Amino acid sequence: MKIGFPRALFYYDYFPFWAGFFHSLDIKVVTSPPTHRQIMEQGLKKVSDDTCLPLKILAGHIQALDKVDAIFLPRMVSVEADTYNCPKFLGIPESLFTAVPAGIPVLTVTLNWRKGRRQILKDLQVFGLQLGKGKADIQKAFTLGQEWQKQYQDSSGAGWDFEETIREIEKVTKGLTKPQMSTLTPSIPKVQDTTDRLRIALVGHSYLTHEAYGSQNLLGRLRKKAEVDLVQHVKQEEVDTNLLGLRKKLFWNHAKQIFGAGNKFVRDPKIDGVIYLSCFGCGTDSMVQELLARYAREQHKPYMMITLDEHSGEAGLVTRLEAFIDMVERRKVHEGYVSAYGECLDRDSNAL
Amino acid sequence: MKVTFPHMGNAWIVIQTLFESLNVEVVVPPTNSKRTLQLGTRLSPESACMPLKLNLGNYIEAVNEGADTIVITGGIGPCRFGYYGEIERQILRDAGYAYDVVTLEPPDGSLLGLAGRIRYLAGTKNSWVKIIKALRFAYLKSVALDRVEDLIHAARPRLPDPRETEKLYEAAKLRITQTMTELGVKETVRWVQESIRERQEEIKDSERFRKPLRIGIIGEIYTILDPYTSVGIEEELGRLGVEVDRSIYLSGWVGSHIFQGLAPGYRSIRSYPGHAKPYLPHFVGGHGLETVGAAVKFAQEGYNGIIQIFPLSCMPEIVAASVLPKVQEDYKVPIMTLVVDEHTGQAGMQTRLEAFVDLLERANFEPRTEHNRGDVLSVGGR
Repeated sequence: MKIGFPRALFYYDYFPFWAGFFHSLDIKVVTSPPTHRQIMEQGLKKVSDDTCLPLKILAGHIQALDKVDAIFLPRMVSVEADTYNCPKFLGIPESLFTAVPAGIPVLTVTLNWRKGRRQILKDLQVFGLQLGKGKADIQKAFTLGQEWQKQYQDSSGAGWDFEETIREIEKVTKGLTKPQMSTLTPSIPKVQDTTDRLRIALVGHSYLTHEAYGSQNLLGRLRKKAEVDLVQHVKQEEVDTNLLGLRKKLFWNHAKQIFGAGNKFVRDPKIDGVIYLSCFGCGTDSMVQELLARYAREQHKPYMMITLDEHSGEAGLVTRLEAFIDMVERRKVHEGYVSAYGECLDRDSNAL
Repeated sequence: MKVTFPHMGNAWIVIQTLFESLNVEVVVPPTNSKRTLQLGTRLSPESACMPLKLNLGNYIEAVNEGADTIVITGGIGPCRFGYYGEIERQILRDAGYAYDVVTLEPPDGSLLGLAGRIRYLAGTKNSWVKIIKALRFAYLKSVALDRVEDLIHAARPRLPDPRETEKLYEAAKLRITQTMTELGVKETVRWVQESIRERQEEIKDSERFRKPLRIGIIGEIYTILDPYTSVGIEEELGRLGVEVDRSIYLSGWVGSHIFQGLAPGYRSIRSYPGHAKPYLPHFVGGHGLETVGAAVKFAQEGYNGIIQIFPLSCMPEIVAASVLPKVQEDYKVPIMTLVVDEHTGQAGMQTRLEAFVDLLERANFEPRTEHNRGDVLSVGGR
């Protein structure tokens, strides 16, 4: 049996779990190719235009998955106790049925960590019946999935590279190599002389920052000009400590990661500037961005918000990026002259 | 302490009653208007949804009347509304308004914390018995308000002068606002019924038995409850001779959201998830599931059309909107989706509503005027 897994949205954070899960069940997983123009265009045609870019891209990827026996679209309600994913995750797969090519069945299962591990196992076992797998198999698959996911998450941290990590996993799922989990741990970060390079933090949803086509290769462009720190480079403990200042806990898992990491970047003197990557119509970002922008202003950290949508003119993006980097660069040079007392006398009139 | 709160349709009547019966000073902000929205939009994040912008506008307008404490309900997601209280507090603080924000929700699930917040608002003089009595009375009022609203929905297409109907509605709201006894609330509802009956007798017999079109309104709760936000869609449809029903009424929301399902409200929303099941088996936050369920229910009850309305970028409703075409196909009922934001204009909305109603009317008459070949050919000869 061949199952199609679209390379969009939940792929970027949760693919290792599902890859491990299906690997253990001996089901072949096929992922769609990286986003290209046709995928994007197909996606735009098939979903409601009010929805956000990542969902439109997902719809395109679903259509790109022909020659599979079924398409797998899990309903990822929650991946952590006391949080939710975005409501649009909760509406999958029903909201995307229009995009599924005729004749290909959709497989789905609800994953809700709010209800605890036992409920998830139960749901997965019901799902397993559809695949013709027994309880013991599912239990084993779940454990392996968890293991892979944990490896994947632990491998994040400084020097983590999404492409590299995911390539390892895909190799395993294609059966090219034997599963060697040790390869998943990152190689020691290359020691580079980075003293004079700028360090820019790029925060945003994983399915935007790593979506090269959708984000006009923002990450790549940024890497050429500066050292880039991502949300995934921040250790979980650090994210958690940086969330403590909030009077009310955030209830979206993604938003927590983004805000926690963003808050760390904003306070980190080594980071020269923060870019928030969002997409038009993102509900969680409209709140989190506002919170983070406030903190950035308090800390006098250069901060820019970029909103993506499906219109693909790259000149505007490039100009903004260049202007931002120029600004950060100049600021860095001039800050060498700040008086020895440490603080500007008039810190509110930030003339630079 | 002077308490204020955001507007949501008729909710102010209920909230005012609640605080006044507890002898807490309360400021009702001026009703939602263009100015409210402008003031709010200036401070809000641009991609926030419209209710947030109106809320902020309400608070700013209430400042002039000495309000210093905001009461708002909360939630734990995944709809954005759950985080409104906190983000509004920060925005207002940075803009220089010295507001204290009390979010009525169990903080981290602790009911004791909620009790503490209620106690903070109610002061030390009110006993718990009194608080519960006040809550009950406010709830009764909200049910009565919904009853009146529903009567008006039915009256609008049937009574001759639409302006008189609106006047009656306003008068009824005023009466309910002012009365502080259960009897008074009941009397008002009866009075509205009587007045409608009287006026109906003036109608000629030939007019009286005309059956108006029926349209079900579904969507995001704030938008459908608040006539300013929905650009007066119900009144407008009533004027076009359409009987309107709505998926959620205020007391239904109060019953499920604030009393956690202990009270059913005027129109219970409990049956909706069951109706939605074939199309959307899982809740999606906000009232997305209820929207789909209500669409199915309206379709089954033979409504002529359904209108979904929600603020731009509302996450749960977008999910619902992507499922609704299937309902439309299965039940052969036209569903129109309207999206509102701070740029929505009256005229654009009106045109779309008129077009929709025209379409429904034509569909209704079609069986009577059967076309055959001869008919079509004779058109040219006439």
